[in-house]
Amino acid sequence: MALTSGHNAPNGSRGQTVAQRLQKELMDLMTKPTAGITAFPDDENMTRWTATIEGPADTPYANLTFKLAMRFGSTYPYEAPSVVFKTPIYHPNVDFSGRICLDILKDKWSALVGIEGLLVSLQSLLGEPNNSSPLNGQAAELWDNDMEAFKRHVLARHKTSEELDLDA
Amino acid sequence: MSGPAYMPSDEELANLQKLSNEYQPEVTGPLVGERQSSSAITTEYANADPVYRVKTAALPSKYAYFRTCRGDGHCGWRAIAFTYYEALLRVGDVGLFQQEQARLKSMHNLLNAANFPEHVYIDFVDEAFELLDKLQNSVRLMDGTGADTLLQAFNDMSVAMAIITYFKLLASAWIQAYPDEFVPYMEYNQDIKTYCSLNIEAAQCEIDHIGIAALAEAIIKPAGFALEVLYLDRSPGEEINTYRYDPSGHDGNPQTLRLLYRPGHYDILYKAEDVQQPLPVPSQAPLQVALAGYTDEFVPMASNMPDVMTLIPGMYPTGIGQRWPSVSYDYNSTPAPQPQMTPVPTYAPAPTPASSVASSHQEYVTPVHASHVNHHNPPTHHSIQLEPPVTLPIHPPPPMTIERAPQMTVERGGPFRPSMYELEPGFHSGQPHALPFQTSIFRNSHYNTAHFLNPDFQPEEWSPDAEYATGNRGRHKSTSQ
Repeated sequence: MALTSGHNAPNGSRGQTVAQRLQKELMDLMTKPTAGITAFPDDENMTRWTATIEGPADTPYANLTFKLAMRFGSTYPYEAPSVVFKTPIYHPNVDFSGRICLDILKDKWSALVGIEGLLVSLQSLLGEPNNSSPLNGQAAELWDNDMEAFKRHVLARHKTSEELDLDA
Repeated sequence: MSGPAYMPSDEELANLQKLSNEYQPEVTGPLVGERQSSSAITTEYANADPVYRVKTAALPSKYAYFRTCRGDGHCGWRAIAFTYYEALLRVGDVGLFQQEQARLKSMHNLLNAANFPEHVYIDFVDEAFELLDKLQNSVRLMDGTGADTLLQAFNDMSVAMAIITYFKLLASAWIQAYPDEFVPYMEYNQDIKTYCSLNIEAAQCEIDHIGIAALAEAIIKPAGFALEVLYLDRSPGEEINTYRYDPSGHDGNPQTLRLLYRPGHYDILYKAEDVQQPLPVPSQAPLQVALAGYTDEFVPMASNMPDVMTLIPGMYPTGIGQRWPSVSYDYNSTPAPQPQMTPVPTYAPAPTPASSVASSHQEYVTPVHASHVNHHNPPTHHSIQLEPPVTLPIHPPPPMTIERAPQMTVERGGPFRPSMYELEPGFHSGQPHALPFQTSIFRNSHYNTAHFLNPDFQPEEWSPDAEYATGNRGRHKSTSQ
């Protein structure tokens, strides 16, 4: 059938492409910046972005900045981007490779969320971990029982952006 | 359910559940397929479980056609969105398009009330409205491209997903605006916002019965359409279970969107009378099949009559500003008396005569062609072509009739329907047509009925002078009259 050919590519020529949507989100992020959040594409094709979130005040992550890598597939925004922490982070819902367990990145993802919504959710995850399904069991336990020890682990694991660059 | 003899352990069940959750069916085929005969479904189930076999055996007689949707987890949403657009196209009333656009615009209030960010959802809205505009233009011009445009749009992943997302947001907003209608069908104490974010708005979630009900209430019923879902499952019985949502206060025969549900998947169904106008079939499509299908449909005129009623402008249960003034949706509307019997005089009924000409054209021409194309050598059917614009009978030729409609001058009063040939340029000037009117059997004999299609056709006339000159055979004829 003639229909199937040429329509398998997720980005048809007629509709809005992934790049157009990302371009629009970039404009929104630049014109209406949200406090404590940045995001910018790594290159021209916009499929990889680097983002930063600041740890919320009154949490163990206060005054710390975390770098994230985002990758957008050809089905964005109808599928979530893949997001990992590049800055080492000690958190109940993040494993030691920086992989994140968050509902909004999985079954709760919707085309409305967008980059800003995702980063805001990640920021609030820092202060409100979901300890019922932890990726880092020790962190979940310390969060519940020994906040001082938890804070020490957070600070011991954190690296500043400059330290990260030296490692690279 | 399962027999008491074997009870899988929790671990096994968990494992099976995990496998089931992770199962990704191989998705192939077009996002929305071409309309095809529903006997394909019967064939598909011929060797299946007897329950399916019995249920599908009767399907083609009631639902002549179906259309596949790709089973990628969006098929239910896609099927409803597609059939909504298709029903608008089928009604073919520019006024209804405008009414629906106004109504959908007014529902932005609902989206805003659900706290959806307008600058984000407007992208999806734009895509949905762009398609409405295109189809409306096609209806206005009657250029017959609407069905193709619709199919192409829904086979463009980014367009289709934007429209599906828009429909999801409308469903979610509707559920949140009228929670009392839907909460009883959710799990006890489930937070409605959470429910919507997981089961309606989520990018990857197939439609559930709440989603279908919400779309029926938010989009389909207010447009004056009905929605019918046929559940083909292994439940006992010989008939496929059907659930129907009818527009309130709509008597008679509303345009009906029909879905075929098979566990985990939705396709689109049609009754023969739903398929009023032949779709413009790509020219590569097999001719014979299409011809047989369409000629059948034109014979029983009676079955088309209810649809003709819906073509009359103003015959819709909802008027702009009547039920959709702002955000006040009287969802539980005890049906207000509908203005069905009072056609709105502001609608210009201009397209109607033209379309009747077009359809009468098909009725008239198709049988002639069908008999020739089907029964004679295929190559020769070229030689019985009519005027150049009328290439093949399965293409409804609205472009021809419509583009020339302004020049149409039927200089004749009286009760007679104008012949399609009067719409042809040069009809009155008596231009000779150079086309050969011949077929392989009758050649160019004057017995060849193809001559009837010639606008300059003159039947053989009895000429008394000639008869008297040659003999007295003519005298017998004249006295016998």
